[in-house]
This record gives sequence, C-alpha cells and structure tokens, in this order.
Amino acid sequence: MNLLVFTKRVPATQEEEVRIVDDGKRVDLSKVPFKLNDWDNYAVEEAVRIVEKSGGSVTAISIGDAESDEVLRRAIAMGAQDGFLIEVVQEQQDPNARATLAHNFVRKEVLPFDAIFTGVQSEDDQFASVGGILAAKLGLPFVSMVIGIDAFEAGHATVRRELEGGLQERVKVNLPAVFAIQSGINEPRYVSIMGIRKASKVERKVFKAGDYQDGVANKIDVEKWIYPPSKGGATMLTGDADSICKELLGILKEKGVYQ
Amino acid sequence: MSYGLIVGEVRRGQFEERNLDSIGLCNLLGQESVLLVPQGDYAIKENCTDAIVKVAVDESIFLNPLDMVNILSRVFDARGKAGAVIFTSSSSGGELAAYAAGHFDMPLITDVSGFEKGQNIFYKSYFSDKIFGEFKPAGGEPPVLTVRSGSFKDAAGEKASPAVVEAMDGVPAGGARSFVEYVEEEKGEVDITKADFLLSVGRGIGNKDEISDYEELADLLKAVLSGSRPVIDKQWLPKPRQVGTSGKTVKPKVYLAMAISGAFQHIAGMKDSDCIIAVNKNAEAPIFQHAHYGVIGDANKLRDKLKDMLKG
Repeated sequence: MNLLVFTKRVPATQEEEVRIVDDGKRVDLSKVPFKLNDWDNYAVEEAVRIVEKSGGSVTAISIGDAESDEVLRRAIAMGAQDGFLIEVVQEQQDPNARATLAHNFVRKEVLPFDAIFTGVQSEDDQFASVGGILAAKLGLPFVSMVIGIDAFEAGHATVRRELEGGLQERVKVNLPAVFAIQSGINEPRYVSIMGIRKASKVERKVFKAGDYQDGVANKIDVEKWIYPPSKGGATMLTGDADSICKELLGILKEKGVYQ
Repeated sequence: MSYGLIVGEVRRGQFEERNLDSIGLCNLLGQESVLLVPQGDYAIKENCTDAIVKVAVDESIFLNPLDMVNILSRVFDARGKAGAVIFTSSSSGGELAAYAAGHFDMPLITDVSGFEKGQNIFYKSYFSDKIFGEFKPAGGEPPVLTVRSGSFKDAAGEKASPAVVEAMDGVPAGGARSFVEYVEEEKGEVDITKADFLLSVGRGIGNKDEISDYEELADLLKAVLSGSRPVIDKQWLPKPRQVGTSGKTVKPKVYLAMAISGAFQHIAGMKDSDCIIAVNKNAEAPIFQHAHYGVIGDANKLRDKLKDMLKG
C-alpha cells in the first residue's frame, strides 16, 4: 500500500488569545506557537499502522511555508518514509485553492498511491473540506469522518464513519480513494525529541507551489475578522479560592444537586 | 429569480431538525427555495419551501457523495445552476458539501452561522469560535454552504401555499462506495443523560493522571463524571461519557464544566442545562458566553480546594 498523508502546521490557539489587528483586516498570530494539526496526527498514525501491517510506504505532504518542514520531520519520526513540502509564498486559506494545489501536485508528480489520507479538519480554519474537494477533483471516492478502519486491502476498504449521537455507519469503498480521518480513531504514538532529531536526517523534498498553480485561485474572500458578539455571559465568581469554593457549593445547594 | 437548493438530510427515516436552519438561510438569501430529499415515509411540512424534489432513491444513496453529485447534476440540468446549494453542518452534510464543491468547482463556505443580507456576507467561525470571518464568494459566484444548526431555524417560516412537488427517478447509483450498515455505540456503565448533576472535564486538565482526582471530586459531590471530545479522543474517559454532537446531548440541573473551552460541538450538547458553571483559566474561553456562572482560574487547583473543603 502506498499512502499519501496531507499534514498541516497550525497555530496552537487552544490556550492562546487570538488578536484581530489592522481594523479587522488581519489576525495576529506572531505570539502563538505552531504545531502539527491534531487531526493530521491521527491520520499519520493510521497510515503508518496500515503500512506496518501490510507493507508499502507512507509519504507525508505539507502545503505551507518552510517552517512546515517541522510537521514532516514529525511524521517521519512516527514512521512515514518520505516527507514532501509544497512551499507556498503566501498562505492559501481557501480550501478550494489548497485542494486544487494538492490535486495539481499529485497529478503532475504522478505519485502512485492506493489512498490519500487527510485529517477531517484543521484546527485553525475548520473548513473540513480539502479532502472532499481533492477527491472530487481526482474523480475518486471520498469518505469523511473515518473513525475506524475494519479492512484495508488491495482494491477496497471497509471503514466506519462517525455520525451524530454515538452512531456510526460502515461503508465499503473501492481504492484508490480519499479518506478524511477523525480524531480518536487511534492513539497516536509518542514522538520523542530524539526521534525527531533522527528523522531530520531523512531527506525531505521541497517543491515550489508556483509550479502547480493551474486553476489555483481563492473562490472566497474574507472581508473582515470580528470577535464573537458578547451575550452578556456568566456571573463571575471572584475573590480568594476559599470564598469561590464556598460560593460554588452554595449554588449547588440552591440548585438542589448537593446537600 | 435564481433558486436556492436545500439538500435535506434524512437519516434513518427522520427528516433531521437541522434542515430548518438550511431552509431559514435560503429564505434569508431571498431566493426561491427548492428542497431536495430522498423518497421516504417521513413527516415534512408541505409549505416549508416553494418546491420539493423527491428523488426515488434510498437515503443511503442520497447521503453518498458519489451519488449526490449525479443527483445535483440532474437538478442543474432541469433548472439551471442553483444560486446557492445548502447542506446541513453535520457529518454527512459536510462530506457531501465538500465533494459537491469540488465536483462543480464552486466556492465553499462551511459552518455558516450568520448572514448579512445587504452585503452578501456569510459569517464563519475560526479557531473554535474565538473569532469569526466575514466571507464573500469571489466574483459573486453561487456558493456551496453548510449551515450551523440552530443558526437560522427562526427564519424557516411557512410559505403561503404548499410546495410544488416533483419526482426524480432513474438516478444511477454508483458502486465505488456503498453503505453496509449502521453501528451503534456500546452501552456505558452509566447513562450521563439521566444525571441531575454532571461534572464534565476538558483537555485543559492536562493529562490522564488528573482524572482520578476528578472522579474523587465527583464522588464527593454525588455528581456523574463526563467529558468533552478531546478527553474521549485521548481515551482519558470512555466514549459513552462524551458530551457533544458526536456524543450525548445532556440537560442536567447543573453542568459543571472544568477546563472545557467550549467548542460549538460541545456547547450544542449541553447548552440546555438548567445551570451551567464554567471553570477555565482563559477569560476569553467561549464557554463563558454560555455559562450562568464562571470562575477564571486553574481547574485542577479549584478541584483540589473543593476536595479539601468537602472532606473537611
């Protein structure tokens, strides 16, 4: 099995404040640390597991600036054989533009593959769309929200999709196909600093996005960034830890859930 | 006048309630509304849209992206290209929308939660609701949209006269992907939907080793322990304890959220709780917008303090 996995380096905004600047025209991420997109971590792990079981190779591909080499090193440390960087001058936000660039790259480089994996979504823009657009452009079957792979054999796969409320559906799909992998499908392996250091000795190939621009254009424009409207929000409990705890227990008593 | 095409989500014979948000947005767009659904024996208001196209296929074919693009092609052939194609923002809605956008080379905006009519601006969340972008399809091209549930249902309304109903048959069903069966989640040792008091933990607690102390606090408070998606993904708590759209929807008397930032999918699963108390060290965490009471601080420290106090 030859598997291509698209991975993205994203700002880790979970614990950080996101600042809108220049009168809503720009989002300042200069103080935010970056990391591998969580969903892609699961996708790389799943691909590596398949190849460990049935042979073949995993190629991690990232569209981004030179810094995105970081997520390729990490993927190699997890077990990918190759890392390809499609280096862009300017970040392409529109999922259509990213997917078209990915499509042009896969076609022009004539990469052999049995399946392409992506994460369901990236943590930053959360469009959850690149895999689906790419599949349609390649004319291949697409399965999203993949939460379990039951069988992965030459020519076909049986996978489970996550639906709502704990429900899943099992689908059968011909290969090659594009799969968008949902978080929680596996427990991604731990990657040590030593492992990443070792991985950085494996050569990663760099391609220039400029060579794959046919039809790449933003189909949507962002006019402005805004903060969500405040709904008034919560009554804040303040003071020292002691008084906050007492007040909290008082609320629980008042609501009748704690005596 | 152009028309807006609403792709209705029918799952296990139910016309999903979130379709009302798609209908609502279509009404706000000011276009003739055409609802596309698979044939079936489910309830649907006859005056919910201007027209209804019933496709003579099973819902599993209708929800298959490879088949859906064939169905859409038929609609476009008959009526011209739609002014907008609107899907639900769900597991299948998102899957269908991305594939359709790629297939028909249309602009795509997902998880739309607001619309500014005069300016043709769609609001979309970034960074789990920390900020929103105001998006426009470039060159005014007709977009593919997915709609956040709960956002537009108030605009769903009713039309003055019943919808014109059309039938579509003879849709070729492909074979490259096929539905096999539904798989139900395994039953948990507790049913969190029955609890009066949920103590719910999020990724911000740090690591799995913290869970046992939260279990102890839950015991002391006679609360049931639940968690947000990242906690389940990391296998700190079992899946039946997950609160959110892909887990359980809960409505306890008190929902105490500790170190949960409040992604929309989580909020959707607990927002109807009688009383929501949120503890988070980040004052900007979206969960404070939905909570009745809030504490800005380290959840683990507050947990330990509460434990000490309760043990007296």
